[in-house]
Amino acid sequence: MNIIGPELLIFGVDDVQACRQFALDYGLTASGDNRFVALDGTGIEVYAADDESLAAPLSTGSAIRKTVYGVKSQADIDAIKAELSKDREVTTLDDGSIEAFDDLGFLLGFMITQRKSLELEAEKVNAPGAVAQRGVNLTAVNKDDVGVPRSLSHVVYFVPDFPKAEAFYRDRLGFVTTDRFTHVGPFMRPAGTTDHHTLFFIQTPPHMQGIEHFTFHMGGPTDVMTAGTNMVNKGYQSFWGPGRHIFGSNWFWYFKSPFGCNMEFDADMDLHDDSWTAREAPPGADNSQVFLLQYREKWAPMGPPPPGAGGKPREAP
Amino acid sequence: MPDGIMLCALDELSNGALGFDPFNDGRDTVFAVFRNGEVYAYSDVCPHYGDTSLPWKKNAYLDSRGEHIVCAAHGALFTIDEGYCVSGPCRGESLTPVPVTVKNNTVWLITSPTGENKK
Ligand code: FES
Ligand SMILES: [Fe+2]
Repeated sequence: MNIIGPELLIFGVDDVQACRQFALDYGLTASGDNRFVALDGTGIEVYAADDESLAAPLSTGSAIRKTVYGVKSQADIDAIKAELSKDREVTTLDDGSIEAFDDLGFLLGFMITQRKSLELEAEKVNAPGAVAQRGVNLTAVNKDDVGVPRSLSHVVYFVPDFPKAEAFYRDRLGFVTTDRFTHVGPFMRPAGTTDHHTLFFIQTPPHMQGIEHFTFHMGGPTDVMTAGTNMVNKGYQSFWGPGRHIFGSNWFWYFKSPFGCNMEFDADMDLHDDSWTAREAPPGADNSQVFLLQYREKWAPMGPPPPGAGGKPREAP
Repeated sequence: MPDGIMLCALDELSNGALGFDPFNDGRDTVFAVFRNGEVYAYSDVCPHYGDTSLPWKKNAYLDSRGEHIVCAAHGALFTIDEGYCVSGPCRGESLTPVPVTVKNNTVWLITSPTGENKK
């Protein structure tokens, strides 16, 4: 089953207008009324939580309503349909895609991928001892550059039973576990990609089931920084980052969002094939970030603004 | 005059919630909501992670109908009057209330007798 990775995430949200603006500011492009896409055409769809075209939400109220995977060919659709039809209903939709629930109650879709193949360069780095990636007189940074999301990268779920989730995606859909956090959950990649993970599970009590975050791949760490800084400048609030993960090695910067989950920028993820042996580590800051650069609006020890400078509550007499 | 820190004029709260930085941390650490004639204030920390703030942008503490306080990170919903989490990851836990008082149409954060609540 050549599942490539997530193609579309479908949300039912409280504040559609805020989510639309957030998606645009994040760097996605509007494609029709509800869809916002990265450069390769993968992306998200945003609807009101009570939109009748959406499947019922999880009982927890999480805003994620459907996760649609892109596959290589119709043969893959047929194979997935044959496999899942063994023990559940699989519906074929008008557009030829299929949908079914996973073993935890998340609605999945599978479609022949429509992602465009991108011909772009990754961020180039120069270092002593290495052949220059960026030649002489080529500047890396321009003040106005803002990184643009290239491709939907991964989705992370809170789940009440990660062994059950892992077994379903492994045994029924051909995902491979690349690494795991002990007692928390596995990082998984489907057979059609070498990305370290397109899916990660976090074990939680049942009332927490839902989406934890989703993210798009950027062109490199500088794109993560410029896109994240652009978000900060627009008034959005960082949740975690910027930093670099250990498992997957991806750079990250998470922002809280009106989607009811975090939205991340990531870049430069490790690639793996079937010869890789999964690692395991206990969860925690030591093992999830190789470093963390906490964004601070005010960092220089300059003291408070002068009285009457505005923006700050005045102290009581 | 109470021994406290002025947060805002009461009418500034009429359109929902506001975040404040009363101790000059460089970010909002307290927020206040005006509802049914009362001002409710909480420390801007979500009990789910215990060290992250709630809104996705400044002052975005309420859902679109103004019915609940929201943590944007994972969508937790809290009652306005008690800060009690009714849905989401920290269901059953509560926001930490911050004592405030309204005097002369001004909202004050009350500093504690021992002073640890004071800058
Ligand atoms: S940190 Fe607030 S809901 Fe998760
Ligand atoms: Fe991530």
